[in-house]
Amino acid sequence: MLTESFTIGSRTAPSRVLFGPHETNLGSDRALSDRHVAYYRERAVGGCGVVVVETASVHDSDWPYERAPLAADCGPGWTAIVEACSPALVLASLGHTGGQGSSAYSQQPLWAPSAVADAVSRELPMVMEDTEIAVLTAGFGTAARLAMASGCAGVEIEAGDRSVLRQFLSGITNQRGDDYGTDKARLLREVIAAAREAVGDGLVALRLSCDELAPWAGVTPEHALELVPTLDVDLLTVVRAGPYAGSAYRPDAHAPEGFNKALCASVKAVARCPVVLQGSVVSAAFASSALAEGACDLVEMTRAQIAEPALLQKLRTGAAPRPCVLCNQGCRVRDARNPIVSCIGEPRSGHELSDALPVDGGSGEVLVVGGGPAGLECARVLALQGFSVEIREATEVLGGAVLDAALGAGRERLRSLVAWLAAECDRLGVKVVLGHEVVAAELSSYSGRVVLATGSNARDTGWVDARDALRGTLPDGPVLVHDPVGGPVGVSVAEKLAADGRDVRIVSQDPIVGTLLSLTGDLADCNTRLQQLGVPRELKSLLRRVSGGSALLEDVWTGAQRAVPAAVVVDCGPRLPREELYETGTLRAGDCVAPRTILEAVLEGRRVALELGA
Amino acid sequence: MSRYPHLLSPLRVGPLTLKNRVVFSAHLTNYAEHGKPSEQHAAYYAARAAGGAGLIITEEHGTHVTDWPYEKLIHGFDPGVIPGYRRITDAVHAHGVPILAQLNHNGGQASSMFSRLPVWAPSPIADPLFREVPKALELHEIRDVVDGYALVAEHCVAGGFDGVELQCSHSSLVRGFLSPATNVRTDAYGGVLENRARLLLEIVAAVRSVLGPARALGVRLCGDELIEGGTTIEEAVAVARMVDATAQVDYINTSIGVATATLYMIEASMQVPPGYAMFIPSAIREAVSIPVIGVGRFKDPVQADRAIAAGQADLIGVVRGQIADPDFVRKARSGSAQDIRTCLSCNQECVGRMGLNRWLGCIENPRTGREAVVLPMPTRRAQRVLVVGGGPAGLQAAVTATERGHRVTLLEKADRLGGQVPVAASVPSRAEFLDITRNLAAAAHRVGVDVKLQHEATADEITADGPDAVILATGAVPARPWWAGDLAQVVDVRDVLEGRAAPRGRVLIVDELGFHQATSVAELLADRGCFVEVATPGMVVGQDLGITLDLETWNVRADAKGITQLTDVVPMSATEGITLTLQHHPTGADLTRTVDWVVCAVQQRADDALWQALKGSPFPVHRVGDCVAPRRAHAAVIEGHRVAVAL
Repeated sequence: MLTESFTIGSRTAPSRVLFGPHETNLGSDRALSDRHVAYYRERAVGGCGVVVVETASVHDSDWPYERAPLAADCGPGWTAIVEACSPALVLASLGHTGGQGSSAYSQQPLWAPSAVADAVSRELPMVMEDTEIAVLTAGFGTAARLAMASGCAGVEIEAGDRSVLRQFLSGITNQRGDDYGTDKARLLREVIAAAREAVGDGLVALRLSCDELAPWAGVTPEHALELVPTLDVDLLTVVRAGPYAGSAYRPDAHAPEGFNKALCASVKAVARCPVVLQGSVVSAAFASSALAEGACDLVEMTRAQIAEPALLQKLRTGAAPRPCVLCNQGCRVRDARNPIVSCIGEPRSGHELSDALPVDGGSGEVLVVGGGPAGLECARVLALQGFSVEIREATEVLGGAVLDAALGAGRERLRSLVAWLAAECDRLGVKVVLGHEVVAAELSSYSGRVVLATGSNARDTGWVDARDALRGTLPDGPVLVHDPVGGPVGVSVAEKLAADGRDVRIVSQDPIVGTLLSLTGDLADCNTRLQQLGVPRELKSLLRRVSGGSALLEDVWTGAQRAVPAAVVVDCGPRLPREELYETGTLRAGDCVAPRTILEAVLEGRRVALELGA
Repeated sequence: MSRYPHLLSPLRVGPLTLKNRVVFSAHLTNYAEHGKPSEQHAAYYAARAAGGAGLIITEEHGTHVTDWPYEKLIHGFDPGVIPGYRRITDAVHAHGVPILAQLNHNGGQASSMFSRLPVWAPSPIADPLFREVPKALELHEIRDVVDGYALVAEHCVAGGFDGVELQCSHSSLVRGFLSPATNVRTDAYGGVLENRARLLLEIVAAVRSVLGPARALGVRLCGDELIEGGTTIEEAVAVARMVDATAQVDYINTSIGVATATLYMIEASMQVPPGYAMFIPSAIREAVSIPVIGVGRFKDPVQADRAIAAGQADLIGVVRGQIADPDFVRKARSGSAQDIRTCLSCNQECVGRMGLNRWLGCIENPRTGREAVVLPMPTRRAQRVLVVGGGPAGLQAAVTATERGHRVTLLEKADRLGGQVPVAASVPSRAEFLDITRNLAAAAHRVGVDVKLQHEATADEITADGPDAVILATGAVPARPWWAGDLAQVVDVRDVLEGRAAPRGRVLIVDELGFHQATSVAELLADRGCFVEVATPGMVVGQDLGITLDLETWNVRADAKGITQLTDVVPMSATEGITLTLQHHPTGADLTRTVDWVVCAVQQRADDALWQALKGSPFPVHRVGDCVAPRRAHAAVIEGHRVAVAL
């Protein structure tokens, strides 16, 4: 069913899979760029049914992030995307983030239904009066007309994660005494009507938060079930999002796949239009069964198509798509630094115009030393290009550091990416020798090219290496997880040990744990989970000394020292490159260059392979 | 004879003759577009040149493709930068001021987020901020680094710069090599100081050979990294001697701290005493024969003049002082130093925006960062403008409107100008914040705003008066949280600071703002002998103090004053006693605190009564600042300015 075409109103989508609107930072000022066009084209060529373009602000009072598209500047970009994406349906997502926006770029006050500060930014918005409401409604109409004139199949109105329309629907953010307060859906209905008038025979789709996860005053599923049948829309994407819901809209792998399915099914039962299931749907199996069960009519698989642009094409031919592991590491780019949307497994995502594709024509033998993600990706791309490739891996299994990382709590899905890489290598005829530790003499006598992907070693701290802690059993007694990095490893180790019933605490030099997880959306969540598990967070502290079953911690600012119980210390600190086999000029990739993350390993493994093929 | 005989005297720096000793030293601006200098860059530097700066040093120019730590870095290695360089140097030279370009490779103080390449450093030691393990440079890569500096120096020559400065402090590969904390190499580039300085000296030689004798070469050194095992003043002086001994360098610039570990001491806020880093140029100056630049919160010409008179430095870096007022030198020279728009060292819109990848601005100068945007011509038909409210929004509106040719009357109901600013600045560690409205009030007096104090405007009066335009800047009033009931011992921060309440004993401060309000009043009450706890629904108390680099110093002081902190809690109820029930939202657990007083640092309510009464009047009515939505002072200033410009 997933790959079948589906008719929505006056238009027909070539498949039942939707690529949802998301921040990419691909824009040029506030316009859609050539990079956007290339990014969406790949997904459309790959068989996507409906492409919903990155949300454009309908009025310049809204400038939520620096590269946020502005509808008035999007006409040429929409046209180019429509031309590039045929036969996929292209919808222009239109929105206004209201009190969840930012004044940093516009230097203007934020607009919102009531004077309620956003929980994250704490910035107080101005209360929209009749003038602003009229401007906003007209803005949706004007933007919708421009989208249709640019060739879009229709528009999608954003009333989900960050939206002034959702803020009007919610009792948390709408405390107005006027008609827009007593009838909280009034503005949404007016906006839909304005869009409907503007699109003619085009589509009006809606992305609606049907659960703000704040039942004391927010939008609840019960509200949504009352509201949905009254809305005149052609397509409805059911999401959960709200002012306190943080990462709930597109969470990482700590949330189960397809977590909205039951909510979506209940909404579909009352909806007068086709309904889209959104929320961490990454596998064809889940998507197909949701369709088969009747929980939805279409499935949004955004991250799955960031990881695998040719998702539908591969499903149609029976090939295995590269899996999305829901890590949010490369694709969640709502960050002031403006990172470009990408993917740990498919680093070309977001870089379609600059990164080359493998070209056939390679010949000769290449030995890849090391079967972690860098070595596997290198071997895969070499084999694609026609090289005869052999991987020699010191351990008895392919996957490298990822296998250990995947033992951490909430990180299990990581394994599927290296499993896919290994399966692809196997399919492409890569020879794999396991349990073989390559020595220098072997390389000097090897006649072909050599690529090193030998990974990293733990630092010499005298403590238990995080990878050993994840793999094996620890000595008895209280555990101190030493996490100077603030990435996913320290948190996942602490959570796993806590789940195993160990007495565990985590020490960080930062005021919170997991600082680097702001990018994945897990920052607040991981601190919450640790507190729920009763894991003490030793914050703003340096680990100075361990002896006699206790650790001496020092406050980073005041220098005050204190002891905490610690029979075992697990070090989650940075690692050192394993470079015994390296000689100047040898090709290498991943952690043996500098121990970093799976993203850099895959990127460099591929880059080396493409260089050899060039 | 100038009042600042030392500061305003000329100085020869290598081949250049500077008209005075004020340097607009290198600092990030985030004005670059697609890796190239922008029109805004040229306008920004030109404004400081027009204002009389003795020497301008631009922000850093990246010397190699491996270095891209933040999005808006100028990629100096790209020859496409040369037209932009020319635009900057032409604009600055038009005012007879020399300009240097700063060259840098940030080394390990970076991530691969933008470059998609391994980060380069002397040793595989992760930076404390970026936390990415770098690749240890191989020898051929060191040669690439040196070549990169020479290449960018060529571009700078082609682009008309009068020379370059090598960034070897703050955030720099050269700093990484110099510092024993980040260089653990065992080859000719590690170990003894001569080895750690080898890269620097190789770059000096390579760049000098490109520059020739007619252009200046400077080296910026860190005098104390303030990190464990890092460079200290003794080694910095030794490196300065080596640099001087090359006879190829024309001056030494100085700094303190490491950008990615101890930034709060590099761009110190008002909580750190002025001139705090002058021990560094003092020590270096005694050891070298070339001029030395000193930096560190120089806010006024007197202070800078004295530092030179005392022999602490030959030149003074005044960065934030000239961000706030481009005419710093011109005003000092013309005997109107009292008109200088003094920097507050608040760090809100300059430093605070840099870390967030936003363009550099200034809390009190609405034109900073917008120099390239031409304002409409001042009006030819003067309007009679009535401004209601004398806080920062109303003052700025009144000053700008008057400067643009309108006749302005400002009505303020209190007996002094400034709105909430004097209140915020009444806490000892925040005193310099008062400068924002002190400067504005002085400007209002200077330009001739008709200020009427103790005049509470009414809608009837304004309507009867019938001005050409009304600008409402009526501010905000404290709002009582729902859980506070009518308990007399639950008060607002403003009640405490404005003297309406005097808490004693045990005090809980509820902080929903995450900025100076709660932390300031906490200190004030602790100083008065209270036992203070600050509670916040956020994950960190005073979270936004991190943006302005106040978090470290506040925490140290708070600890010394016995202030405790409680995070992740939401007030649920308060009963006589006072017993406050708080919900720890991660776990749902309730906790209680029994205290004598509760002080609320919570969102205020816009005072928009006049707006509601006057909107729709026959004359235009505008509103600016907190009476639109209560926010921070910068919003007030820019809105006041914007509305006045648009009249």
